[in-house]
Amino acid sequence: MASSFPTRTVVPRNFKLLEELEAAQKGQHEGSVSWGLEANDDMSLSRWVCMIIGPTRTPYEGRIHTLKVHCGDRYPEEPPAVRFQTRINLTGVSANGNVDPKSVPSLRNWNRDMTIHQVLNDIRASMSAKENAKLSQPPEGALYPSQ
Amino acid sequence: MNDNGALTKRIVKESARLQQEPVPGIIAAPDENNARYFKVVIDGPSESPYEGGKFKVELFLPDEYPMAPPKVRFMTKLYHPNIDKLGRICLDILKEKWSPALQIRTVLLSIQALLSAPNPDDFLDADVAEKWKADEKGAKAIARDWTEKYAHET
Repeated sequence: MASSFPTRTVVPRNFKLLEELEAAQKGQHEGSVSWGLEANDDMSLSRWVCMIIGPTRTPYEGRIHTLKVHCGDRYPEEPPAVRFQTRINLTGVSANGNVDPKSVPSLRNWNRDMTIHQVLNDIRASMSAKENAKLSQPPEGALYPSQ
Repeated sequence: MNDNGALTKRIVKESARLQQEPVPGIIAAPDENNARYFKVVIDGPSESPYEGGKFKVELFLPDEYPMAPPKVRFMTKLYHPNIDKLGRICLDILKEKWSPALQIRTVLLSIQALLSAPNPDDFLDADVAEKWKADEKGAKAIARDWTEKYAHET
């Protein structure tokens, strides 16, 4: 037998992404973040649209921030690419909305057990960070040019 | 896990038999890096709207296999009331009717049979099922059209 059995079962990309989708649909999370496929017939399971509700007592409070998450062919060996769709002034987010992986713990220390959910939670947690406490925000509803 | 060895032996055995005595019209090969992951091609059954098509399917044996069923998904787009837009399959033996006595082989045969005999009463895709019940001839024409369009790539 050429095939080998690693000591630990590796869930292939598509089945992992289906698990992530089902977790979103079952709503086993607090509701301050959400994630789903951009198109309900995207058989490649690549393009996700996500939302983060800004935490209270932060400059992000009272707004729904939308993000696009792209899971490539190498996911989950490689982390997803994340960018904001709604304009935001947040440390680690570039002028065109791209999220710098180095600024998000789960992206920085990515491994195949991590999920889109964790990435969103980390980004939401950073909204409460001291360094972001006084940042003025773009007008509500303003969008980055689509890429 | 204590009985991991035994479970593994079962997977190796099933896998070898799939290669040595393949199910007619079905090719199933384990991924070279993951013995629990199979890439499958199912020929569309004759006298069905899927005839002539080659349908790519992926199958994964979770840790709990054979106590839990394999996970299976179509990778080729097809028009079928029991298969949703993401390729997920509604089939009782993949859910509550699973038994450890069943095998990868029986699962693949059941999926092939599902292509021959769609069941719009136990649907997964409501739109397709509705069309199938209201206008079976029209639904089958769409299914044939999609087979032509999506299941002929090599």
